[in-house]
Amino acid sequence: MSSPATAAGPVTAAPAARPRRALRVPRPGYLAGKLAAAVVSFGVTLVIGFVLFNLMPADPVRTMTRGRPVSEAQLAQLRIQLGLDKPIWQRFLSYVDDILHGRLGYSWEYQQSVASLVAQRLGPTLLLMGTAFVISVLLGLWLGMRSGWRAGSLFDKVTSATALTLWSVPTFWLGMILLIVFSVGVGPIHGFLPTAGMSDSSLPQTGMTHYLDVARHLVLPALTMVLVVYAQYVTIMRSSIIEEKGSPYLLTARAKGLTDDAVRRRHALPNALLPSVTMIFMHLGGLISGAVTVEAIFSWPGLGDLTYQALTIPDLPVLQGTFIVFSASVIVMNLLADLAYRFLDPRVRAS
Amino acid sequence: MVVRESSRSRRFRLALATACAAGLMAGPASLGVATAARADSSSASGTTLRVAMSDSGVDTLNPFTAYFNGALDIFAGIYPTLTSIDEQGKPGPYLATSWTLSPDHLTWTFKLRSGLKWSDGQPLTAADAAWTLNLIMTNTVAGTANGTLVSNFASVTAPDATTLVIRTKQPQANVTYVSIPFSGIPIVPQHIWQSHVADLKNDKNDSFPVVGYGPWVLTGYQTDQYAKFDANKSFVLGAPKYDHLIEQVYKESDAAVAALKAGQLDYINGVNATQFSALQHSSGITTAQAAGDGWTGVEVNPGARTRSGKPIGTGNPALADPVLRRAIAEAIDKKTLLAKVIDGQGQVATGYLPPAWSQWKWTPSAGEEQPFDPAAANQMLDAAGYKKGADGVRVDPKTGKPLDLRLGIHSDSANDAAISTYLVGWLQAIGVKLTIQPMSMTALNSDLGKGDFDLLMDSWTTGPDPTYLLGIQSCATLPNDDGTGGNTDAFFCDPTYDKLFNQQATVFDPAQRAQVVGQMQDILYKADVDQLFYYATTKVAASSKVTGLITGQETNGFYPAQTSFWSYLKAAPVAQSASASSGGSGGLWAGVAGAVVVVGAGAVVVRRRRGADDRE
Repeated sequence: MSSPATAAGPVTAAPAARPRRALRVPRPGYLAGKLAAAVVSFGVTLVIGFVLFNLMPADPVRTMTRGRPVSEAQLAQLRIQLGLDKPIWQRFLSYVDDILHGRLGYSWEYQQSVASLVAQRLGPTLLLMGTAFVISVLLGLWLGMRSGWRAGSLFDKVTSATALTLWSVPTFWLGMILLIVFSVGVGPIHGFLPTAGMSDSSLPQTGMTHYLDVARHLVLPALTMVLVVYAQYVTIMRSSIIEEKGSPYLLTARAKGLTDDAVRRRHALPNALLPSVTMIFMHLGGLISGAVTVEAIFSWPGLGDLTYQALTIPDLPVLQGTFIVFSASVIVMNLLADLAYRFLDPRVRAS
Repeated sequence: MVVRESSRSRRFRLALATACAAGLMAGPASLGVATAARADSSSASGTTLRVAMSDSGVDTLNPFTAYFNGALDIFAGIYPTLTSIDEQGKPGPYLATSWTLSPDHLTWTFKLRSGLKWSDGQPLTAADAAWTLNLIMTNTVAGTANGTLVSNFASVTAPDATTLVIRTKQPQANVTYVSIPFSGIPIVPQHIWQSHVADLKNDKNDSFPVVGYGPWVLTGYQTDQYAKFDANKSFVLGAPKYDHLIEQVYKESDAAVAALKAGQLDYINGVNATQFSALQHSSGITTAQAAGDGWTGVEVNPGARTRSGKPIGTGNPALADPVLRRAIAEAIDKKTLLAKVIDGQGQVATGYLPPAWSQWKWTPSAGEEQPFDPAAANQMLDAAGYKKGADGVRVDPKTGKPLDLRLGIHSDSANDAAISTYLVGWLQAIGVKLTIQPMSMTALNSDLGKGDFDLLMDSWTTGPDPTYLLGIQSCATLPNDDGTGGNTDAFFCDPTYDKLFNQQATVFDPAQRAQVVGQMQDILYKADVDQLFYYATTKVAASSKVTGLITGQETNGFYPAQTSFWSYLKAAPVAQSASASSGGSGGLWAGVAGAVVVVGAGAVVVRRRRGADDRE
């Protein structure tokens, strides 16, 4: 993704900074093309998902019943019950049939519908991922903007170094350190945050107390997520601001007598935001799949952990079901990103 | 105009972000109070015991279809069983106070207590037990989890409210183990469940409080989060000392250990060796080891074949030679594995049945112990014609191929990784090359079922009745010719062993049965197909504010194996001095300070922005 300034040249970029903001409905042909592409890629991911999960060497029946007194006859019975006795092409056909009818299947492990399992985990996942996402985007873009504007300053050096250090730190390690510092307590710090789950089961599970309780449980997992991922917004924002910084249209703005701050926010920022927007949309689609590591450390009941657990059996209906939900989410968000980009950057419309 | 509008909306957004950030900081602050109230582990009404849920978790709360330990732990607390397991690992009273066996060894008569009531006030009688067992015997779905336990039952009847009569098809010595807490069949209330039979498979058993009988009543459950219970203060084997019990899910055992240190958790059943060593020296924490109820070892493929004798799989044919298997066994230093891999927290393994259940204890006869003796192993292989090639790897005289064997290990097990590195070196010393193949457990199971392995890391645990664990070594568990229907542990098959297996099932004198089981362990020991390394102890850690969690008398440094049933029932709060945790209020003030800083910074930024707008 090249930045606007280099793509179209400074002269045309300058008027682009303040285009007519009216929402232009894309041509139907364009929309249909994008939709068709989305549908095709969804179809391809479905096939890939099925093939991957079913070719995985596995014995779900023995793994599930491991340690329990289950006879060979019962194992055989269970295989028939789960449809594992059928040839793979038959299983594929029933998988396609299920998807076309909107059925996500029935979990082998939990013995309930995959749709209900996904629904249970969706809220916690979006709460954790959404909170972390919003904070890391705001924090990352703000820091990136400031440090890019004064590239090479002490602020820039400290910000970039901190962000990149945290980005390189293993999530698991960082999470455990935060857990030990803020839940157990180290030295003068007394642990005060909960170690696991998303609510304290001895408190009422409704009302204001519950919401505050959930917020308290959210702090550490969300903080871990933010610290690890915000660097990518810092770096991308920093580099696009640096590219914009030398543009002649900023000189014009300064010539009008605007403050440095205003030049940055009103003129440089909107153009520099474009690459970040693409990235934000791409990440937005992935939010739903959760974060396996963070969910594991803080025992957060999210979709990432559900998928990971399903993989150990493997609970194929759950894997296939969550895979469908995840890929659909990514594809829809990419589609939206395409459309939003047209709206945000007039040059994409013109081409 | 345009500029002004957008700047106002930007200001609004900024204010919103500031408010969000402030809210996030205030979250912990406002609940700091709640932490302080919770730190003494008592909720609004009474005391609460907080334990970590078994790490396998709960698959379903349906007692007819659940396999996972987390679920079995819950059932042990909320559903009754015919018998319980006493501290010696032997059947003791629960619903039944006594039992008799007819002279033909086919009819068992259990005398049940009278006057017990389910948690909804309905009477608990022998009819409930008969109904539950009959359902499992006759309904395929009801038999999903426990059908095998009653497969030899001919009939179960309740002639009156306190008598249960079980007739078996063949004499069966382990009937008193069939319905025990945790690993046996839970008895459910007929008046609740009979209307659920039609759709038993989809029954999630999640209307709280769940009607049952036991030391606890299940009052709430959130999948993969927690299960919470109230105590049944009129429980027949003694009232729980706590008023509430919470089983909290910890997906990461290090997080559970942190929670124990933070005082947010009272008990973890099953920490690893590293955690145990660290916790032993932590103040405010009690640790204990229970004699191991399982072993860790390696399976050697002795030539996988089906029930009819057709060879299957890709196992190296050289391993069919007992000499090679014995040489491998003698090349492995079990003592080092015990000391280095699990910090010596366990015992070197010999017999197939673990030391937790001392009634089945078997040790090799004098002179038949397999020593760690690589020199002897080398001599054995030299004598059997396994000549060393130029690269130091021996060659199989029958096929002319070098002894290059695969070792499958669990990719998520640190112990497997540690053990396998030792094995590679030790086997290299006797001219056998090992290639480590880390795999998921389910992939290992798949390879095992198909006979596609040379050596596989393996471990098993067992409850007090060894029938199942002994059973997976019998020829009947080999797969059919089409590769299906197998449940064998390592393709071991020996007619003498099978004869003894059938015999032990019908020996009613416990000492005599142990003797037959001993002969079976002897056969397994000499076959070197399951080469056992060590029995790791079950390591538990508890808050010093709780007593009674660790049951039984310590012998040789180990406590008897224990199940959650007794631990949670006997746990009692230690009378505590009023030492209020300062963590809560510390958190409160930190939160307040943080919120003030954030709000203040936000206000300054907003002001500056406003000033800038005015200047334009």
